[in-house]
Amino acid sequence: MFGYVKVDRANLLGKEYDTYQSIYCALCKQMGKDYSVFSRFILSYDCTFYAMLILSLAENDPTFCSGRCRFNPLKKCVYAQTESKALSLAAALSVSSAYYKLIDNLADSPWYKRIGYRMIQPFFASWRRKCEKKYPQIVEILKTMSEEQLSAEADPDCCLDMAADPTAKMLSQVCGLIPDEVKLRTNQEPQKVKRILSAFGYYFGRWIYLIDAADDYEDDVKHGSFNPFALSDHGDHIAEYLTPTLNHCLSESLLSYKLLDEGIFDSIIMNVLTSSCVNIQKEIIQKYENEPSS
Amino acid sequence: MNNPYEVLGVSQNATDEEIKRAYRELAKKYHPDNYADNPLSDLAEEKMKEINAAYDAICEERRNGGKSDSFNSNTSASSFPDVRKYIMEGRLDDATELLNGVSAERRNAEWYFLMGMVYSRRGWSDQAYNYFQRAHSMDPGNPEYNAVLNNMNNRRANNNPGYNTAGNGQDCNCCDICAAVYCTNCLCNCMRGC
Repeated sequence: MFGYVKVDRANLLGKEYDTYQSIYCALCKQMGKDYSVFSRFILSYDCTFYAMLILSLAENDPTFCSGRCRFNPLKKCVYAQTESKALSLAAALSVSSAYYKLIDNLADSPWYKRIGYRMIQPFFASWRRKCEKKYPQIVEILKTMSEEQLSAEADPDCCLDMAADPTAKMLSQVCGLIPDEVKLRTNQEPQKVKRILSAFGYYFGRWIYLIDAADDYEDDVKHGSFNPFALSDHGDHIAEYLTPTLNHCLSESLLSYKLLDEGIFDSIIMNVLTSSCVNIQKEIIQKYENEPSS
Repeated sequence: MNNPYEVLGVSQNATDEEIKRAYRELAKKYHPDNYADNPLSDLAEEKMKEINAAYDAICEERRNGGKSDSFNSNTSASSFPDVRKYIMEGRLDDATELLNGVSAERRNAEWYFLMGMVYSRRGWSDQAYNYFQRAHSMDPGNPEYNAVLNNMNNRRANNNPGYNTAGNGQDCNCCDICAAVYCTNCLCNCMRGC
């Protein structure tokens, strides 16, 4: 994924931020444990959000313990601990999405960058193989996404919805896995939660793909690369096209999320959806609003 | 049914005013209009029914009052009843197939509306929006198309449904007023019993 799913720290309570940070550190530790110490470098906030989403719904609340950070032994960290598969699922998502991102980069980078990518590829491939043994479904979902993305971009009839579909579907399926893999709190019906999470994942995945595309719009247009917003002509009014399209994805994901029963990390998840994502979106769209129109 | 007080998130000792306020807030949050083009609209409707039933139960318990009306769904004569049925059942591929089989001259406003509905249920909101706009321009007086398009426009204007961000600079047009009156009317109907 792309690093747009973060918390808005200014609008979080101290204890909420500490909880978030403890999940981040716990995921880092889990990646070291499940894959290798180097895999900790690809730790992302997006996957921390995924871990938090699972922990928010899982049967047993996480516990917290403190320890020292492996990378910075002077720093004391608080780690979230859980009996559920929340962290290992998020770790699997991290390594498999990183692998397919690398494959993607290999396909469209200049030769000098490709040398670097080729050098790290064996590491990523070995993590993916490990992941395949644990969670073959996650690797399969990411693989399908990667293939569908390529064919969507090559399709002469490609439209914005078609281009966003693979990423949206990927997150939808990955979120839909949660009730299958993790025992939910007693009062929730797994089938209903699965439907809600799938719809939430779809719209949120769509937003993630489109916000990344919005961010790169200018460069892509300049270099003639593929960009879903460039598929139809909007002249100088691109901001007027970006805003409603992105707003709609966020609104729908929020509407879907609100149908879930209360989760223990709702306040942090709401902070991401209603504050952080909105700010990120505003910042990106501002780039295009400030441009003088000719 | 679950404890009606728990459904509304109030204590058994809450005052009538507190109950009414809690009910209004939840009704606003899960109002079916908010979810008209969302794939989870049936779940929202379920939730709304649960909230209505809980509110009714509390009112009845407290005042021995009558029952409140539930929402009336639009049941207008449709040219494509099968397509509507498939969409309701989530059989989107079947609905698309039927719609694609309709010859060009029979593609009326409802056809565009239903096509928009299929895309919207798939999450392909951009295509859906184009179809809804087309349906609306072909039959501007249709309340069903207006409500869905209006709802989508609201969602495109604000990213926090139900928590409209202040000062978004949107003009209030005639459709907004209609939608507001419609929502208020629904709420009033629901509360008539108490």
